[in-house]
Amino acid sequence: MTAVFTRRPGLRGIRAGGSPLHLVCLGLVALIVTAALLAPWLVPHDPNAVDLGGALAGPSPDHPLGVDAAGRDTLSRLLLGARTSLLGPLGVVVFSTLAGVAVGTAAAWRGGWLDSVLSRSTELVFAFPGLLLAILIIAVYGEGLLAPVVALAVAYLPYVSRLTRSLVLAERARPYVSAYQVQGHSGLQICLRHVLPNIAPVVLAQATVNFGYALMDLAGLSFLGLGVPALTPDWGRMVFDGQTAIQHGYPLSAVLPCVLIVAFNVVGERWADRVARRTP
Amino acid sequence: MTMTMTTSPRYRAARAGGLRRLAATAAALASLAACAGPPRNASGIDFELSARTPRAAGGLDSFTWALYAEPPTLDYTVAFDYPQNMVLSNVCESLMRWTPNLTTEPGLARRASHPNPTTWVYDLREGVRFHNGGTMTADDVVHSLDRQRDPDNAAAWAQVFQNVTDVRKTGALQVTVKLKKPDSQFPQYMASAAGVVASKAGLQAAGKDYGTSGGLACTGPYSLGAWHKGQSLELDRFDGYWGRRAKSAKVVFRFLPDASARTNALLSGEADGSYLIPTESYARLRGSDVGTLYFGEGLSTVNVGITNMRGALGDLRVRRALSLALDRSGFVQVGLGGAGTPTGAPTTRAAWAAASERTRKRAFEGLRPGAPDIARAKALVKEAGATGKTLTVATSSIGQDVSLLATAVQDAGTRIGLDIRLRSIAPNAFTALFTDPGARKGIDMFPLTYYNSITDPLDLLTNFKTGAYLNFAGHSDKKYDALVDRATALDDPRRRLATAAEAQQRAARQLPWIPVAEWPTAVFLNRRITGAPTTISYMYYPWAADVGAAR
Repeated sequence: MTAVFTRRPGLRGIRAGGSPLHLVCLGLVALIVTAALLAPWLVPHDPNAVDLGGALAGPSPDHPLGVDAAGRDTLSRLLLGARTSLLGPLGVVVFSTLAGVAVGTAAAWRGGWLDSVLSRSTELVFAFPGLLLAILIIAVYGEGLLAPVVALAVAYLPYVSRLTRSLVLAERARPYVSAYQVQGHSGLQICLRHVLPNIAPVVLAQATVNFGYALMDLAGLSFLGLGVPALTPDWGRMVFDGQTAIQHGYPLSAVLPCVLIVAFNVVGERWADRVARRTP
Repeated sequence: MTMTMTTSPRYRAARAGGLRRLAATAAALASLAACAGPPRNASGIDFELSARTPRAAGGLDSFTWALYAEPPTLDYTVAFDYPQNMVLSNVCESLMRWTPNLTTEPGLARRASHPNPTTWVYDLREGVRFHNGGTMTADDVVHSLDRQRDPDNAAAWAQVFQNVTDVRKTGALQVTVKLKKPDSQFPQYMASAAGVVASKAGLQAAGKDYGTSGGLACTGPYSLGAWHKGQSLELDRFDGYWGRRAKSAKVVFRFLPDASARTNALLSGEADGSYLIPTESYARLRGSDVGTLYFGEGLSTVNVGITNMRGALGDLRVRRALSLALDRSGFVQVGLGGAGTPTGAPTTRAAWAAASERTRKRAFEGLRPGAPDIARAKALVKEAGATGKTLTVATSSIGQDVSLLATAVQDAGTRIGLDIRLRSIAPNAFTALFTDPGARKGIDMFPLTYYNSITDPLDLLTNFKTGAYLNFAGHSDKKYDALVDRATALDDPRRRLATAAEAQQRAARQLPWIPVAEWPTAVFLNRRITGAPTTISYMYYPWAADVGAAR
């Protein structure tokens, strides 16, 4: 089976295979997820405590990753920021995957007019770039994580539904489905108990790829000062705040969140490759 | 979101590349850690104000100037912000002129006389030519000033003319202005964009398009050249100029909104110079051998503007507590790149240039801020019963002076028991905080930088009067109003400033704004050019005419 994933053109190069880069990224991701879970007990400082006198100071025993341009501890912000930065994409992926699978399966199984309606309406969503949709919704509903998550989930839904539809169409033509039908199983039963488990690995792989993209999109939104409220630590916001640090010539506080975001992408792409059986 | 379907056959090549990338990443991280931060308390720079830059040695064909925003229009009646005035000051001239030393001298008027307290008579220069042809007469002056007074024009300078009852031609080259009551500020504003003279014929020919397309029909050393919207604007030397000929035949303004792009343009030579340098770039520009960074008198103060006194900030003790807890030195060090002076006074010292030593001392007595006193501030908040009260500060990514001040206020407030929230405002919406009460809804304070348009502290102190345009929170103190009115009516600068000193002391006690720091202007000139003034005079003085070759 060869699944066709949707990917962004700029990221084709990040195909890490079994290289040390992938292992390092996997390690980083595991570390960050654990740290994000334990963050409230791990953070050494209040992430919003300002020390202007010590701004941009380098790593020290008190601040292992240094401090940013406002004198806030980078490690504390990175750890607490992981929670918002990972929770958002998780929401996007869960919603877009559940809804996308439902829409895609219904369209493929029923076919006919339902297929036409569902497929055309999800394709309509392609006309609206996800980020623009999110910016629009934030402009209407104001700050907060929920609005951009819902907007991005809607924008990501067609990618999942289209993939699901093609997979279900292929499954449906296989003899075991006809066998179940002959035995009198209902369409819903066959889909839930047999078709979905068979296509799950591929859909989940797409979800992983989407997670990486959603992470970047949400970070991009908070980089633009949208979405996440000002005092909530967040990776996108850290990169934004880090711009001045870069101008000062001390880019550490801005580069670290970027490294983590890229790590998530590398891991997602790698899993997608494995499922698509493109790697050894 | 853009996604394309790909099935890349290049994964093996990518695998080998992965190792190389990993090594590169590791090396990059190692080097990052090595240059992660400066030693403690060293992020700022030493700064010294320069009165001027070295005089130009010769002429130039052209020089390029970086500007952080494109002026929406160059109509002088609505020129109230940096980008418009920085361009306009070279094209349009006023009746009086603000010099690089921030004093006032005759401009298009060769003499201003004051026969009685409510009359100003301007005798105009002879033979001053407009860019569009024709010679300046009293009719042009009357028409230009009337545009500022016309309510239909919604001029930004209308407030300057609120005391004016009549602008009349009293001779071929004489204009007489009648005032309702004595007003020491009006004649000074005639050196700003409020006093600009443009050709009546030119204004009438341009109609509604004046300022956005075609020429400006003014008298300055440069005329408006090609304007490539969104990219650049050119000024061409005006050969019929009445004064000293401009040194460069052409000036090209390039619009570079991104701070780092602007700094890089200066470092790469894409732009020869710029005013309003991003504070985070001071050290980089100073460290480069591409040119020189100068600081000059800015007549500017950074403040925390109070926009709502109906909440906790209505209690003077809470405002005082915030002022006590604010880390002004830390803010100057980081937010202003070290180039600034912490202050407890709303006006700059330089605005008091005309005052006697005694007056100046009285104006600033006891206003030097000490180190943050958290314990006292906390006690004040408790005394006011404001512990735990929520206050919202607006912040924006316009520049470090704004974002870091908001952060500093949030930190100070949190330390003294207040619940301070930050609200992000988009950069282009930030100006609306000054002009639109709707935009200030739900906001209690915002970082507010104020620059004087004249060398007089009353320019700022008037804003705290009851009902003044920038008195956002509706602060009202009858005694203060009376003091400012009394000072404004005094023509003699020494007596005027003596009264203004009392007003400043009162304002500093009542804190309608919380003063934070004095902020000098910065100008960067690369090694090719020199001669630009260092002071904020660039807003109304034809500064580009002084810029020429360095060698």
